[in-house]
Amino acid sequence: MLLREVEYARPASVQEALRLLSDQEGARALAGGQTLINVMKARAASPDALVDLNGLDELKGIDLGSDGTVTIGAMVTYSEVIGSAEARARPILGEVCAQIADVQVRNRGTVGGNVCSNDPTNHLPPLMVSLGATMHITGPGGERTVAAEEFFLGVYMTAAGPGELLTRISVPPGKSDGFASVAIGKDGTCIVNAAASVNGGARVALGCVDAVPVLLKTDSAEEDAVRAALQGANLDPPSDVHASADYRRHLAEVVAVRAVAQARGKS
Amino acid sequence: MTETTVTPERPLVVEEGETRPGFIGQNIPRKEDKRLVQGEGVFFDDIKRHEMGFVHFVRSPYAHARIKTVDVAKALELDGVYGTLTGDEVAILTDPFFELSTPPGAHIKDYALAVGKVRHVGDPVAAVVARTRELARDAAELVEVDYEPLPLVLDGEQALADEVVLHDDAGSNTVWSGTFDWGDFEGAMAEADHVVKIERLHFDRFSSTPLECSGCLVEYNRGTGQWTIYGNHQMPGVGAIWMAPALRVGLDKLRFVSQDIGGGFGNKITLHPQFTACCLLARKLNRPVQWTEWRTDQHTANTHGNERTFLDVTVPVKADGTMLGFSVKAIDDCGAFPRYEPLGCIIWAQVTPGCYRWRNVRVDFTQVCTNKSPVAPNRGYSRMQHLWLTERIVDIVASELELDPVEVRKKNYVKHEEFPYETPNGCIYDSGDYARCLDIALDLIGYDSLEERRRDAESRGKLFGIGIGSTLDSGTNNFGQSMILNPDLQFSGNNEVATVKLDIFGEVVVTLGTVPQGQGHETTASQVVAEILGCTPDDVTVRAGHDSYWNSHAGFSGTYASQFAVTGLGAVKGAADKLAGEMKQLAAAVFGATPDDIELAEGQARIKGNPEAALPFMALGAILNANNAGLPEDLDITLNVRYVYRPPFQKPDLDRKYGNLTLTYATQIHACALEVDPETGVYEIVDYAAVDDCGNRIHPQIVEGQVHGATAQALGAATHEIFTYDEEGNLLTPNFYDYHVPHALDMPPMKNGFIESESPFTPLGAKGMGEGGGAGIHAVCAALQNALGRRGEGPIVWRSCNPYHRVWEMLQQPEQTRRLVEVESR
Amino acid sequence: MDVEVTVNGEAYERDVEPRKLLIHFLRDDLDLTGSHIGCDTGNCGACSVIVDGVLLKSCMMLAVQADGAKIETVEGLAQDGELNGLQQAFSDHHALQCGYCTPGMLMSATALLRANPRPSEDDIRKGIQGNLCRCTGYVNIVDAIKAAAE
Repeated sequence: MLLREVEYARPASVQEALRLLSDQEGARALAGGQTLINVMKARAASPDALVDLNGLDELKGIDLGSDGTVTIGAMVTYSEVIGSAEARARPILGEVCAQIADVQVRNRGTVGGNVCSNDPTNHLPPLMVSLGATMHITGPGGERTVAAEEFFLGVYMTAAGPGELLTRISVPPGKSDGFASVAIGKDGTCIVNAAASVNGGARVALGCVDAVPVLLKTDSAEEDAVRAALQGANLDPPSDVHASADYRRHLAEVVAVRAVAQARGKS
Repeated sequence: MTETTVTPERPLVVEEGETRPGFIGQNIPRKEDKRLVQGEGVFFDDIKRHEMGFVHFVRSPYAHARIKTVDVAKALELDGVYGTLTGDEVAILTDPFFELSTPPGAHIKDYALAVGKVRHVGDPVAAVVARTRELARDAAELVEVDYEPLPLVLDGEQALADEVVLHDDAGSNTVWSGTFDWGDFEGAMAEADHVVKIERLHFDRFSSTPLECSGCLVEYNRGTGQWTIYGNHQMPGVGAIWMAPALRVGLDKLRFVSQDIGGGFGNKITLHPQFTACCLLARKLNRPVQWTEWRTDQHTANTHGNERTFLDVTVPVKADGTMLGFSVKAIDDCGAFPRYEPLGCIIWAQVTPGCYRWRNVRVDFTQVCTNKSPVAPNRGYSRMQHLWLTERIVDIVASELELDPVEVRKKNYVKHEEFPYETPNGCIYDSGDYARCLDIALDLIGYDSLEERRRDAESRGKLFGIGIGSTLDSGTNNFGQSMILNPDLQFSGNNEVATVKLDIFGEVVVTLGTVPQGQGHETTASQVVAEILGCTPDDVTVRAGHDSYWNSHAGFSGTYASQFAVTGLGAVKGAADKLAGEMKQLAAAVFGATPDDIELAEGQARIKGNPEAALPFMALGAILNANNAGLPEDLDITLNVRYVYRPPFQKPDLDRKYGNLTLTYATQIHACALEVDPETGVYEIVDYAAVDDCGNRIHPQIVEGQVHGATAQALGAATHEIFTYDEEGNLLTPNFYDYHVPHALDMPPMKNGFIESESPFTPLGAKGMGEGGGAGIHAVCAALQNALGRRGEGPIVWRSCNPYHRVWEMLQQPEQTRRLVEVESR
Repeated sequence: MDVEVTVNGEAYERDVEPRKLLIHFLRDDLDLTGSHIGCDTGNCGACSVIVDGVLLKSCMMLAVQADGAKIETVEGLAQDGELNGLQQAFSDHHALQCGYCTPGMLMSATALLRANPRPSEDDIRKGIQGNLCRCTGYVNIVDAIKAAAE
């Protein structure tokens, strides 16, 4: 409940933020704080310094391009996604954000924080993978982009490395999307979740079953194709107090099928 | 819940008692509310003292280990650290807390900090006090403890074998063991047409997790040796009985003060170890010390509800569905230290046959220690576990023998005309009408449309189930039941205290001995006093909270065990009645009349039939307190009354383990409808009804609120709330992240009904209520059983908590639980 | 670090460690003990306050992050000792028992009714989803908020 000593800075620009993050090895970016502050309360991790991104207007805002691409600033909150007319161009974004925790968390938690913390039970990593989103990273070497399916490297680890920042996420146009989960209590922690997009075939990204979202691609969006892909994936999910590995593996198949069915229904 | 929840309609009150004039039975505004809705309540952590130090406990990461060394040197070097306390010091400065049990449990040594050994993850080993909370936490990390890990035991049945023993002084994990045998079980077996055997049932570990964690701020007065403890101990009468001898001081040296408490539910009854540590620190460091428990501490170390395994349940049944009784072997897992235990080994006997007229009951009961968090009398304490057993028995027998679950209950329920009903072990169920409550519950839940709803659910691919949970809320304990466990204990009966005075300016001021945590005691006490004194509740000031200095408490004082309406209000009534008598005597003396000529009404004492001859309260107060020359010499009154309510109890018959153990028995009968997704094991409660009967309801809104809250807690305990451990004794649900407590969207639509079967035994005809007896757990288990297991096929619901993964297992492998039940038909 | 905040219209300035949580700052440094702490993982919502118009859990924000902010807590709801409509509705409908979750619940309800003056029952339950209560089962809380909205 009580944090270790930490330094704190609130940069006014992304450049300043990057400099602060590079200067100190133990510096961490502080986004919405809905994960990091809890981690620090438990003293499970204790950065030496926090670089608060909440003052960076450059990381806010949701843009709808003329080609239908939705670009979301990394510091956009879940509530802002839900309330955004631009984000509604790809409705699944708001629908999934509305399933995260509760109003208070949604008012502070950010899209960037959710993907960069990459807790295996998070909602947005599998969603961004299934949508084929593009992650924009900036660092000392300049700007670069990484496809969502290559962005997630391990538990709590992403391609945004030390000294780098995720600045925005571009989501291509589309509407045939679905998301299904089994959670502890309504909108609670996910035991398993799956995000799907259909465009002829299906892209299904499974969360909670591995360190990073597991992406499956099928040529057909029909149920048997999805089930076949799940079985072929040889999932080896973790066991915990909420689900055994077997149960999780089974649920993964169920939510994958449901997510794809939802997506199919919107095609 | 996916669609908009149907608002529960106004509660269905089937039968208002006769209209009573006055305030009792009315929903007057709660006195507590004004401060609480403004955030002006005073909870212990709100209190500050100049130069206070903050306590952080260093806790064991091991479930079982010897403590080799504890080195606080580095912690003491940290700037801002005021001092420390270790087990070695505690062992010198205090005596072990007294144990309630007989040997071997009697030999357990329980101290404020772990001495020699740690026995559960989270067991406090040392304490650090510092200038700020954060510094205390930092310093705690610098305390170096060298442990020698030991093998552990995490299962009650395994603990019986005594291969790993927690308490060397006891030499055994068995805290208490005994058999209870009433009626003629062998005869019942001979008479039976069917015998249903259930190999095992298990009541899971959970807790009501009050939102406010435990804690205290302790001051020590060096000049007088007086400790003042601003803390949320909910039963300070007993807390003092533990702490004072341990600290080697008289009881009066411990002053307990509390104003507002954020829920207790029994989990703030065994705070004496931590409070004692804080007392020692306050004295040692000569400054006030403050301890705030964090959520993870509460879940890991303080406290859980009793976990109980029921083995070899044997139920003789007649062809017509009459059950004749049951026998069972019960193993109660009380965690690392008994503390309030082994009282749980007898408290269940208040409701031996549950709601049923079973005459032949045999229980072989053993309580053991394991390397898990110690238990405390969590809401429903020991009766809930036992009532769950009786309901699982009825439910499983009905399912196996294809008996209608409603008819079989009505056939076996104690009948309305049989009250007061004496159970096989001499408890007197005061009043009730279980069949009627059941009918109301079924009506509220639309039982008639059951089949239609089942078909509708099935058309959507869901399994549908409906279940009944009957339970009793026994209240006002006869502590003599403790002597059944240990004849050497000197506890029996019960008591509660209240004072009522009439002050100089005519103010009526009440103090209570109870320790409210939201039950509205200030409000209901004012209702009773107002009605007796002939004024309004607004004219009555009830001091908020509890304070030993008010001398308004006795040995059993506190707020626990569903009893305030009986004991607390019994004391208030007694004091108010006596004060009323004195006021009439005084008025009579002033008017030259007799007390019988005087009535109290509208804030005055006046001559009946002559309202002109009236003395307002202010005049009475002023005369006696400040203007009393000339009053008759033999007028022996003080207008400041202290009353001790004592319920009418006898000492139980220790040989037969027989006697009346509780004064009142409130009823709650619930019905639950749920839908299970067979693809995932996920289930949703789609409809719910709760019917309560607690006799005369002093404040109906408060009663209803208790029913809502007890139901929510039971539903949490039935679905997700469970304390599970890994092999190393680490709690896997140590905080609200993994231990899911229902929120507003998790709650099903709830319909409520009430009847009032007055208690013949209590001052106000009211019964204690509040704990709720776990009816929600019984109902959900029955509903799951109905949805999943049908007629000799399908799984058996044998555990109290059924998270999705358990439902899934039951769906996948029904035979695994099916084989727990065997029916022998003759 | 220097922190300046306005809480319920009153200005405060304090020097605090960066590691101090906003809830501790409010309770311990500013003596505004109306907001409470019920957990250590950001789940219970007892610490809910409104910062620059945004409802959030003050246990997941550092005090230094609130520098320059306008904060609203339960202490600011009543005017001159007169309960506001929401507070009165809570009392009328017995929407509180121990009162520990109540301040956070009131702030969530306040934020809800500002954003949505005529919420459905489902809206209300969503609006207080982040506030745990162990006493009431939420039944009367929902009724109270509904009544206050009318």
